[in-house]
Amino acid sequence: MKKFLTLILMVAMLLTTACGNESEKGTLRAMLGSNVVSLDTAKATDNVSFEVISDCMDGLFQLDENGKPIPAIAESYDVSADGKTYTFHLRDAKWSNGDDVTADDFVFAWRRHCQESDKYSYIMGDTVACIKNADAVIKGADPKTLGVSAPNPKTLVVELNAPVPFFPSLMCFATFYPINEKFYSGLEKGTYGTTPETFLYNGAFMITSYLPGAANIQLAKNPSYWDAANVTLEKINYQVVSSSDNALTAFKNNSLDIVQIAGNQFVHVKDDPELSKNLKVVDTGALSYLTFNQDPKNHHAGALSNVNMRLAISNSIDRESLVNNYIMDGSKATYTAIPINFAPNAETGKFFAEDQKQFADYVGLNPDRAKEFFNRAKTELGKDNFDLTLIYANDAGDTTVKIVQAIKSQVESNLDGVKINLQPMTKAEYLDKVTTNNYDMAVTSWVPDYDDPMTFFTLWTTSGSEISEHWSNADYDKIIENCITGNLAANYPARWSAMYDAEKILLENAVIAPLYTRAEVNLISPNVSGIEFHSVAVDRVFKHAVVK
Amino acid sequence: MAKYIAKRILLALATLFVIVFVLFVLIRIMPGNPFNVERMTAEMIALKRAELGLDKPILEQFVNYLSMLMQGSFGNGTSLYNGAPIKPILFSCMENSFKIGGLSILIGTVVGLLIGITAALHRGKFLDGFCTVTSILGVCVPSYVFMIFLQYFFSYKIPFFPYFFDSSNFVFSSIMPALSLSLFTIATVSRFTRNEMVEVMNSDYVKLAESKGLYGFELLRKHVLRNALIPVVTVIAPLVVDLMTGAMVIEKIYGINGMGKLMVDAIAGDGVDYNYVLALGILFSAMYIFVMLVLDILYGILDPRIRIDKNSGA
Repeated sequence: MKKFLTLILMVAMLLTTACGNESEKGTLRAMLGSNVVSLDTAKATDNVSFEVISDCMDGLFQLDENGKPIPAIAESYDVSADGKTYTFHLRDAKWSNGDDVTADDFVFAWRRHCQESDKYSYIMGDTVACIKNADAVIKGADPKTLGVSAPNPKTLVVELNAPVPFFPSLMCFATFYPINEKFYSGLEKGTYGTTPETFLYNGAFMITSYLPGAANIQLAKNPSYWDAANVTLEKINYQVVSSSDNALTAFKNNSLDIVQIAGNQFVHVKDDPELSKNLKVVDTGALSYLTFNQDPKNHHAGALSNVNMRLAISNSIDRESLVNNYIMDGSKATYTAIPINFAPNAETGKFFAEDQKQFADYVGLNPDRAKEFFNRAKTELGKDNFDLTLIYANDAGDTTVKIVQAIKSQVESNLDGVKINLQPMTKAEYLDKVTTNNYDMAVTSWVPDYDDPMTFFTLWTTSGSEISEHWSNADYDKIIENCITGNLAANYPARWSAMYDAEKILLENAVIAPLYTRAEVNLISPNVSGIEFHSVAVDRVFKHAVVK
Repeated sequence: MAKYIAKRILLALATLFVIVFVLFVLIRIMPGNPFNVERMTAEMIALKRAELGLDKPILEQFVNYLSMLMQGSFGNGTSLYNGAPIKPILFSCMENSFKIGGLSILIGTVVGLLIGITAALHRGKFLDGFCTVTSILGVCVPSYVFMIFLQYFFSYKIPFFPYFFDSSNFVFSSIMPALSLSLFTIATVSRFTRNEMVEVMNSDYVKLAESKGLYGFELLRKHVLRNALIPVVTVIAPLVVDLMTGAMVIEKIYGINGMGKLMVDAIAGDGVDYNYVLALGILFSAMYIFVMLVLDILYGILDPRIRIDKNSGA
């Protein structure tokens, strides 16, 4: 009996002491929705990677809590009168190996980026940053001709082909972060950023445990960080959690301090007196939209090359119902090509898409008008019945499945004669189909790269994005070109209003059917404060977070 | 015996070669690009294909791949983790899967044997019925359902075990995934052990041994278990490979960096990573072939009759 009692006591003691879920002061335990793809700034393409890179690296600028760019490694900067030359004066900052962060580190990283990045090289070129000769270097010219130079270790000069009004904001993006050339050259090819040892830090944190694909990533405070005095966190413990059910339980269980949950959980959490106190809904600035393949040669999509057909579909979709009855996570129905609460005007502070009714003649639920457009389309196409395929990536999550089902039922009930076949596929196959023009309709979304409407508008130019709508409009192309490198680049108000003209062309032609601006529901532990959320460059900044 | 083993090894190598070839061709037929085409223009895609040698005839690609394999390399990823070398990543995933798989096999076999033996010894009684029901449940309930159940009760309701896998606290945090993985093994092993034992215990030679005065543990060890275990080993062998190669769902839920998760990432990512899928496919097949080879040899040790047969046949 005595033995038995001892056993029970021992188990009870274990239960009370071995509990592995207690929060630790100074350690933030954060959920990541997916794996880090790469810590190499030239290879990373996803928000998760950019976030972890930004924990460990500082660029010329960083975002303040309101999303405004403020100097980081750059202590100050001058712009030439024509807006085409930026001179950055760097502060005293160190790499984690003790080296100084110099202007040459930026020159090296940017040149390398033009040569080695597959997907983000365009950001250096004439559609975004307009750095002199970037497009030529991307195509194989001598990287030394790139318009970036270091007259001395503390001065970086950047020459542009055209004034870029959002250039400082662009400098917060991981693509423009520096790389220590000496360190990089000492590594075996292809290993940069694949382990904590093969990565060098000039930011607030250093990685202590990581391997590509790791489900758990650990970071510790970087003592040699130039702004270390303002960093109170000692550690960040990232955990990749792929299901939001799991995320919610882990949060309730106090295994994680910050998690993202899906709409079906948000509905319950909202009404929970305790949990609802921890909610934080954030606008991500990502636009979800329906894209039409307008190639008349596509035997399926022939119908979609007809503008009335596209308008009919766009006018049959009830976006309010999509966000309120299907997505339910605080996402906002959107009737413009630019998402809501994104890209404020530098002079007035108003968001670009503040007026959601300005294109009400073309976008929005209107069954009568939809039928009218549809009748016109039927006459013009000489057909009464249309079989259309809507493709989507089946690993994109429950939300996408719900949306495509809702769209199918809404369009079919409003347009008698249209049949939509839903076709799920892997993401690789989906990307293959949309880039090779082998689809009718697809639900897609775009996450902005920088804080300007142009990050969306360049998608739909003739040479624009890889998702091919097969739509081309000379007027639209002209406006966009004028805004980027043409006569409007230096004239902020004129550029701003010209972008509305471009948006009108886009929506009256129903090149796309905007659906909603994506929101993200976060649960944050009451012990944690100071996390900053942004819609561009870095989703979450933990540098100023405090864990009590 | 040596000749027999050599023959088996040669056959295993030939099988592996065929598997590599079929895998190689199949992956290239699969829909989807071998790399993430998001934000890439047609020219960039063409360049990338040339860089990876995908523009060459398929046979030439195969020969190149084989020569790379011969040099002990799996190459670099085509899309996953942006082309980092495969080997270190693969090995670290293998390590996790092996450890957790190994632990679950250990639990599964020991517990399964105990349950099976207990049931056989109490044939027809309550314990037998109880064990049968348990093993039927074990076969029917998918391991990830059991996993969620365990996670809910022992990490959430009673926060004893950590909610996620933590490689720095390996033993403690791998108990739950290993336990849930072992459920199927426990069920299968106990069912087979019980049935085989019941059959052996009814056989004439056991009855003879009993009549000669052998009883208890000695009888069990010398005559019953040894004969009953041969079919059980046959069942365990493929389970070993299954468990060692990782469990996709459990690895996802529990956040374990294992081979199952790697395989899903390689196929369902932004691109189909040719080299990862191939490397994992080759590894899985090689392990399966290896285990079958070991099994054949083990048969000989467990049952001298097989050894003699094979010897005379070889």
